[in-house]
Amino acid sequence: MQIKILYFAQLADLAGKTEEARQLSDPSPAALYASLREAYNFPHSFTQLQVAINHQLSAHQTPLKDGDSIAFLPPMTGG
Amino acid sequence: MNFTLTHDPIDPMALRQTLCTSTAGAYCSYEGWVRDHNEGKSVTALQYHGYAQLAPSVAEQILNEAKEKFDLEDAAIVHRFGDLIATDIAVWVGVTAHHRDATFLACRYIIDNVKYRLPIWKKEIYSDGSSAWIENHICGCADPNNLDPHHKHAGHSH
Repeated sequence: MQIKILYFAQLADLAGKTEEARQLSDPSPAALYASLREAYNFPHSFTQLQVAINHQLSAHQTPLKDGDSIAFLPPMTGG
Repeated sequence: MNFTLTHDPIDPMALRQTLCTSTAGAYCSYEGWVRDHNEGKSVTALQYHGYAQLAPSVAEQILNEAKEKFDLEDAAIVHRFGDLIATDIAVWVGVTAHHRDATFLACRYIIDNVKYRLPIWKKEIYSDGSSAWIENHICGCADPNNLDPHHKHAGHSH
């Protein structure tokens, strides 16, 4: 399946991009994040991040489907 | 939906008028300002990045929670994104109610939750040319105790 990954804030800086498409065989967000963390040296553990799938906050274990977008969100610092 | 994520400068007096009604007896607002220092460093600018497709639903949830918890007439949030400098208003919250207690409490509730739950991040630009993403150590979960840095709840603890 193909999914789109959205990057924000520190993760966008480290990845050097704000989005990318990837082909996945494992639908687990945790597995995807593990590979991204290794590729881009993201500092956060998976549980430090929130997960948004198709622009909605989602449970960490929500399986991904073909065509989904996913964002791993560092702790927010607005205000 | 009383939430706006905007590049444009925030005008508190204009926003105040949007909440003004003849039935409200109290109005309380909060302005978050950009300051020129943080933790001993001279800050020349702040860059706010936001997740524009997600922020409205989170803001709506925060506003609905405030309306359920407090006896409000109305409430609104406006947050800037992009490049800001000292004295700019980064965020504005306004609430109205029949009586003052509800407005003070709701305004505090909304801004506290905006800071930790709205998908917006800020980077500080320092006078020496360096920069850093601001970190907080409070999770963004929707647990009502989430402002306690040591809270525990289903799934994780701190």
